[in-house]
Amino acid sequence: MSAAEVLNAHPNTRVLTVDFFDTMVTRTVAQPTHVFAVMEQSLLQEHGSRWAGVALARVQAEHRARMTAAKTDSLRDITIEEIAAELAIAMNLSVAEKLLVIASEKATEVSLAKAVPAGAAIITEAQARGLRVLIVSDNYMPASQLVNMAHAAGYSWVTAADVLVSCEHGGFKHNGVLWKKVLEVTGVPAAQILHIGDDHEADHVQPSKLGIATHIDIRMRHSHRDMHNTCPDVLALSRIEATQRDAMYESGWDVATALGDGLVGMVVAAQVADVMSVVKQRDVAGIHFAARDGWLAHQVWNKLRDGGVSLPPASYTAFSRSVIWRASLTELTPENVGRFIGEDEVLTISRLERRVGCQLSSLYRPDEEIDAQLARAVLLENDKQVAAAAQQLRARVLGYFEQQGLLKPGHHIVVDLGWTGSTIADMAVLINEATNGATTIEARLTGMYWDATPNRMRVSMHGYAMTEFESLDNNLRLLGVIKLLEALVTAPHGSVVDFADASQNFQPIFVETTPELIAYEKLMGRIGEAAMTSAHALVQGTHSSGVSVADITSTALWAAILQVGQSPRRDEVEALSIVRHVTSIDHEGDGTPLVASPPSSPKSFPQQQLPDLYNSLIHGHWLQGSLRSWSYGDDTRWIADEIGNRWPFMKSQWVSSPLA
Amino acid sequence: MVAIVMRTYERPVLLARAIASVQNQTFSDWELIIVNNGGDPAGVERVVSVARNTTGTSAITVLHLPDRVGMEEASNQGLRASTSQYFAIHDDDDSWRPTFLSAAVREFAAQPAAAAVLTGVTRVHETFKGGKVWPEKHENFPLDDSRLTYDRLIGGNTFPPIAALFRRSVLDSVGYFDSSLPVLGDWEFNLRAVRDGGFVFLPERLANYHTRTPESDRAAGNSITVGEDLHLRVKKELQERWDTEMESDGVSKGQRSREVEAEVAAAEARLRAEIAAAQRAGSQGRTLRRIARAVRHPRRTVRAVVRIVRPTAKW
Repeated sequence: MSAAEVLNAHPNTRVLTVDFFDTMVTRTVAQPTHVFAVMEQSLLQEHGSRWAGVALARVQAEHRARMTAAKTDSLRDITIEEIAAELAIAMNLSVAEKLLVIASEKATEVSLAKAVPAGAAIITEAQARGLRVLIVSDNYMPASQLVNMAHAAGYSWVTAADVLVSCEHGGFKHNGVLWKKVLEVTGVPAAQILHIGDDHEADHVQPSKLGIATHIDIRMRHSHRDMHNTCPDVLALSRIEATQRDAMYESGWDVATALGDGLVGMVVAAQVADVMSVVKQRDVAGIHFAARDGWLAHQVWNKLRDGGVSLPPASYTAFSRSVIWRASLTELTPENVGRFIGEDEVLTISRLERRVGCQLSSLYRPDEEIDAQLARAVLLENDKQVAAAAQQLRARVLGYFEQQGLLKPGHHIVVDLGWTGSTIADMAVLINEATNGATTIEARLTGMYWDATPNRMRVSMHGYAMTEFESLDNNLRLLGVIKLLEALVTAPHGSVVDFADASQNFQPIFVETTPELIAYEKLMGRIGEAAMTSAHALVQGTHSSGVSVADITSTALWAAILQVGQSPRRDEVEALSIVRHVTSIDHEGDGTPLVASPPSSPKSFPQQQLPDLYNSLIHGHWLQGSLRSWSYGDDTRWIADEIGNRWPFMKSQWVSSPLA
Repeated sequence: MVAIVMRTYERPVLLARAIASVQNQTFSDWELIIVNNGGDPAGVERVVSVARNTTGTSAITVLHLPDRVGMEEASNQGLRASTSQYFAIHDDDDSWRPTFLSAAVREFAAQPAAAAVLTGVTRVHETFKGGKVWPEKHENFPLDDSRLTYDRLIGGNTFPPIAALFRRSVLDSVGYFDSSLPVLGDWEFNLRAVRDGGFVFLPERLANYHTRTPESDRAAGNSITVGEDLHLRVKKELQERWDTEMESDGVSKGQRSREVEAEVAAAEARLRAEIAAAQRAGSQGRTLRRIARAVRHPRRTVRAVVRIVRPTAKW
């Protein structure tokens, strides 16, 4: 609705009341508490490490101040001074420091303030029609501060007389007290007042009870996340998401664009920037972005080169865990045959033959279904054929690597998401043997967790956003979101399962499943497009948010991963529910859903089975997204809560980087 | 510009991790000298061969000592095998954040007379089992300006070697590490070095001090956690040795060391007792709040401790 349409719908209006935050004025960060992160950043810069952690402490201080105030008067709002008093206790602030933090918060708010387009348009239209405009806000800041913010956002007409704020009038909008004050101050009947706001209870339910007409617009809330995710490291993603919120204001919120431009763009930019940094430090014989996690980064790398940025050429090299493992196999034994077949799989001989790349002799029909135990027995009976096929695959893999320049003597950089580095370590051994040590590999990974430590003895590895040095809790958090990141950072083709022979230049053979195709068509393709555009701009320093790769430090990337992975928004969880993760060695079948379905009878789900459920979630799905999804259901909420209680580091909560 | 001496003995997995932390530095003008202190040369070479081609413009050198020598002698041999403007002792189980060297070297440019630049430290508790490192938790290692003065260091060492980058000319001024000391050689060296320009502290936590939990395989243990008795004995011997060295106020260095050690220990004991009492009482009152403040602000707590000691020695 246009501003005129909003006002035309209420022709009797004489007074327009306006909610302040996210209706009239917003900030250039994604959510209100990120103001404190900006404040912490400036306090750290100007006054030193004394102020580390003040952002989160500020959030907690407000919570405590509200609890304290509610004990004596549940109707009134608190003031910034009461919040600062709690903060002073928590951080042992002197009087001067307390005053400094209040002044800093006020100044930060003013510096970040900007007008909300729709709110501004309605106000302008209302003033043109001669209506009185009154700002009505639930807030702890005095009216004078809101005036300063309004002026900073371009509303130069605002004076303190135009502001009714809860902390100065003994009650909130959301408990109705402030609305009675509105009627008293304006002196007009409720039927002649129109209110515009963004909160269902405070801006619609309560004024409606008194007969005040309302208009609700929630567009500025799309970028909000959990309020506890607040420290300076969140600001890179926060600024990008604030820009998305504004850019999609008219066109409507699109979760694919938001994810691609935000988290995924940051991951890809970090991959590219990391390699750019490495090539400045070392002489490298080749750079290779790994399929499929390096597809987006490779595209950006080439676009930068095409645009004149001086970068060495880089290959896009297809390999996968299953291909590398099969190519490394020299002997099939009862110990290693299990890697061909999962414990619960039911297979046919035909599918088994595709898996091992050779014909198998057995008593079963090609399409007859057999369980995992029988399938393993069939493979062991055909051990020589399987081993021979593996050696042939090894020759094809090395032929492909030769074409990709990976066998060229010297030091090569391989870029992948991670997470244990075992596949690149296996690949490095293959290449090392083939070149008699003339070629060395260095893995540049986005994240690594503790399994990576022994692999460092086989290949040089570096993690960007996360290393295995971090706490066990953070390692597990990363494990919980790995499936999400693997799904988000993907290519427009399936996994590589084999390579053609020499007559076809050892071309990689990709396969993809129907669920993957659907997810790519509906969501992943658009995420990827947005991510490539975003990453290119981030590296070039032209992103509309003003964020650049210099801001995407390892802790900022970790913060971004956790903002989405650990405390996702509902729209993200719902959109990603169509994604399935295919992990079988032949890359066939429907795979497992990224967001796990809850148990079939959640109300009667036995508590003693929770550890098994947790294990299946953390290894096979996006654990935190699944729990968030279950928390929306009345029947399943208790399971999400109970898993959060038993494994508290897996709660949908914000956890800052340990070094933040 | 920077020589990094890394002593190692039969811990290839940890060594690989430590080398990676050096290789991943954004500051690239470094030379890594790995001193294999009497361990299997083939094991070290295997790890180094993986890493060697990743060093860019700088280099990795390995000194294989035929027999195991003391930690300080190993450090000295590594230092003598290198030339540089600055040096660091990087234990084979510790690690740096990628910007440690760049931040420390930049600070030296601003304060060239300083003996060392130190950064904040994260203490990483980890379990080493079956060739894998399992991180358990990490916490802030209490370190700030007040813990880096002679008056505080005399009571005991306050930081692990991984936190410091030294100006190399300090070695010319105060000498190398004392090879006769089986442990605590870093403490004894720090006491000499701090008087040659003082230590500068950068609060950002860029160094990781890794310690293994008691559940770890014994071969991966820390010298401190495994050899606590030895540390106590050597400290006592050092203090006795210092009894003949007089401070400017006429008190012996040994006596001063014992006094500061006792005061710090007493302050820590009081803090522990307060915590225990508060926990027993389940109190949310003043005591708990004071303790919480002390925990949140170790710098102030240490300052308070130092005030109790009232140091008089000057230099």
